[in-house]
Amino acid sequence: MKRGHTMPYEQLEDSFSGGCSSAAGGGGCSGKGKMWEEDGGVDDELLAVLGYKVKASDMAEVAQKLEQLEEVMGSVEQDNLSFLASETVHYNPSDLSSWLESMISELNPQDPFSNSSSSFPTNQVYEDSSSFDSDLTAIPGKAVFPQIENPAHEPQVQQPQSKRFKPTTATELSSSSSSSISVGGGMWGSFQSESISTRPAESTRPVVLVDSQGNGVRLVHTLMACAEAIQQEKMKLAEALLKQIGFLAVSQAGAMRKVATYFAEALARKVYRLYPSNPNDPAFTDLLQMHFYETCPYLKFAHFTANQAILEAFANKNKIHVIDFSMKQGMQWPALLQALALRPGGAPTFRLTGIGPPSQDNTDHLQQVGWKLAQLAESINVEFEFRGFVANTLADLDASMFDIREGETVAVNSMFELHQLLARPGGIEKVLSFVKDLKPEIFTIVEQEANHNGPVFMDRFTESLHYYSTLFDSLEGCGSGGELGPVSDQDKLMSEVYLGRQICNLVSCEGVDRVERHETLAQWRTRFNSAGFEPVHLGSNAFKQASMLLALFAGGGGYKVEENNGCLMLGWHTRPLIATSAWKLSS
Amino acid sequence: MGSKFFINDNQDLLIEILKRLDGRSLGVAACVCKQWCAITRDDSLWEHLCFRHVSPPPDGVRTVVLALGGYRRLYMVCVRPVLNRLRKWKPIGMESASDSEVGRRVYWTRHEVELSLSLFCVDYYERVLLGGGGGGGGGGRHGDAACTSSLMFLCNAVNV
Repeated sequence: MKRGHTMPYEQLEDSFSGGCSSAAGGGGCSGKGKMWEEDGGVDDELLAVLGYKVKASDMAEVAQKLEQLEEVMGSVEQDNLSFLASETVHYNPSDLSSWLESMISELNPQDPFSNSSSSFPTNQVYEDSSSFDSDLTAIPGKAVFPQIENPAHEPQVQQPQSKRFKPTTATELSSSSSSSISVGGGMWGSFQSESISTRPAESTRPVVLVDSQGNGVRLVHTLMACAEAIQQEKMKLAEALLKQIGFLAVSQAGAMRKVATYFAEALARKVYRLYPSNPNDPAFTDLLQMHFYETCPYLKFAHFTANQAILEAFANKNKIHVIDFSMKQGMQWPALLQALALRPGGAPTFRLTGIGPPSQDNTDHLQQVGWKLAQLAESINVEFEFRGFVANTLADLDASMFDIREGETVAVNSMFELHQLLARPGGIEKVLSFVKDLKPEIFTIVEQEANHNGPVFMDRFTESLHYYSTLFDSLEGCGSGGELGPVSDQDKLMSEVYLGRQICNLVSCEGVDRVERHETLAQWRTRFNSAGFEPVHLGSNAFKQASMLLALFAGGGGYKVEENNGCLMLGWHTRPLIATSAWKLSS
Repeated sequence: MGSKFFINDNQDLLIEILKRLDGRSLGVAACVCKQWCAITRDDSLWEHLCFRHVSPPPDGVRTVVLALGGYRRLYMVCVRPVLNRLRKWKPIGMESASDSEVGRRVYWTRHEVELSLSLFCVDYYERVLLGGGGGGGGGGRHGDAACTSSLMFLCNAVNV
């Protein structure tokens, strides 16, 4: 005899004649090949998968009855429900409508629409009916399903299911706020019965939504509908949609699932106003970036192409000074040092100034990196000097700080840093002006190729959904070498977390907190041109090297290097993802 | 009277022969006996292997390569995977070459040399200076081929 929330389900299992496997949790509905049971074309397809015949036209009614039933069961729970297990006559639940009727009548229906409080985070099981009702009617058909003839019915499909599988005991909030989110990536396993962490703990019973083309499309539409709801400040609707997203995401596999999960989390943060309370710890970000560096070619491409541009610009120079806006672990510089060491005509003296954010613990992170590079330089006989600057933002810097010496040729390098300046007015202008004051021979920039800085939230959301879907797709192909096993999985996971944080910032933050303000190459071009820079064409050497580098990567077939007016873009299939460009002062 | 010729007595000759082998055969040769093992571990054999088809061999490379870990390591970690992977990849300018020509290509271009050396340097930096590869952990790597973290992609099977 099982009590409480497992009850209706267990009963279903026992009396179910539909052929579902009786494994606990009822996950095994794979036998249901005939998914699209359409007698008369009106049975709802998702429920049909699970063996319930519910006419689409009855959906509203069924949903209401389920709600009623749940209310009733919940309120009766304190009393002994065991009679239900032993004495009740069970009707065939596949005809949901009448089954519900019988259940309710046996339990003596009470007022179905008691308004329980649904203030987050102490959410009771039953959402207050107002939200339930609004879900049924308010989802704009066009936003979610532009082509389907019965738009109002589809969202209802999700409603009853989510109601059905919610435990009727009061849900303990699985600290859905900060703690689980901060380990985002780790929560999302690759099996389907994972509980959703971004909202009050739903049932962990696997909801077997057999993946169909339809679900993937629905997922995207629901994500967009949710974003739209948020833009229109319809938070209740957004909340309801988030639940649907949760179920749909679980039914997907691979990249789509991960992307959907991260976006759903970011949307949830926005809805519930749970912004990450501490700014990103730079040491952790560095670690994540290292894994990202190892897993896929984007950063390597960026480094190698920028280095090639710098090398060519310094072809005959003997005193080189490179200013790096994005020092991190200094992964870009060993390759340049080596290339300088082997330069025909001998190595120049190389001076590196690295800029980084202040570290959380009091270690001088920059100095450590500089020291390591110095060791490397010494082993390959390149004269090297390092200096580190700690700055909260690049806009705090000034040309005079850099101590440019007589006869030095200067290069400035920025990897994915400039877009962060767009969060504060005047930031980028200030930086560009002091870069000009430095009179660099070359200014190499690598940025994401996407417009995630539009004024309209919906546009940003859509753009970034496409961008990160492509990025995650490309990650799927990487690191899948079987013999490397768990290590490569960890790398992949960390890379995903790295990207997930960008997604989170992009979607859920606003104002000065939103630093992931990516812009396209065309936009940067305009900006640089008007600031007094002109482009330097990256030569064929850079292109060849980049192509070769990509050919080395597994899944290399998907990566494409493109040349775009002297700039190089790395993309996955047809979509460019990052762009390297080089600039000098216009004469 | 005939005297038996035993290759192990003629080390110079042995080295000359080993110089002409490819990497895999050199590896096999190392398993023959202690003497062969000692000889094949000599870096100059591997230097020859790496650059015998690059003419003239780049200046100053030896110092750099030795500082970064030696030719044998260079071959194992960078040169071999690069050549293997790129064997089927047609570099720009060779698109019209037939598959068999490309397949038999054993020389490598300046770009491949440069790329391999760059990757080798990155490998050194990670391995030695960042302490075993920025958080990537040590378990599960291949033995001597020692694929360190950022060059792991070179160890993955490629669907060419």
